[in-house]
Amino acid sequence: MINRIRVLRAEHDWSQAEVADRLGVARQTVVALEAGKYAPSLPLAFKISKLFGKPVEEIFDPESAT
Amino acid sequence: MKSSNPTAIANRRYLVEMALCMVAYIAVLVPAIWLLDRGLTGPLRFVVAAAPVVPVVFVFLAVLRYFGRTDEFERRMLLESLGLAGVITALLAATYGFLENAGLPHLSAWFTWAAFMGSWLIGRLIVSRYYGT
Repeated sequence: MINRIRVLRAEHDWSQAEVADRLGVARQTVVALEAGKYAPSLPLAFKISKLFGKPVEEIFDPESAT
Repeated sequence: MKSSNPTAIANRRYLVEMALCMVAYIAVLVPAIWLLDRGLTGPLRFVVAAAPVVPVVFVFLAVLRYFGRTDEFERRMLLESLGLAGVITALLAATYGFLENAGLPHLSAWFTWAAFMGSWLIGRLIVSRYYGT
């Protein structure tokens, strides 16, 4: 699923490891999320939304395939 | 400083539990072989021979505990790699079973154990490559 995590992360000047720690996931999970290779569960999607202060639909493109 | 990230904690605990399982495995295997070599007989011989499987059960319990502690993506990769390992092992076992009909020597049940462990590693590499991690 296409998303803006990489862009939002760059805006906050956070590394993948920092985002991983803030979300409580492994760095490889952030790698797969950013690459659009993995669509997160609803709880993780809402955590990401809260972390970046943006609604879920502004981070994830619902039109894109998984 | 140690990370408080739950997945990092899960990794550390998994490594510690696996190390303990390996120590327990050696601690059971060595005396079991020693007893069998000294000609232990009767039903106890079978109990002693099978005893090293107990720490192996704990290895899988450690994997199960890791599964419960790690994050959702690692959980998915673990399940997918185990699924691939099951399919590859079944195909290898069936293929070799058919080849035995053609005259290849009968293999020990250890063949499936080794095939599963090897396939699990291959499955993990395939899954990691697929997700680009």
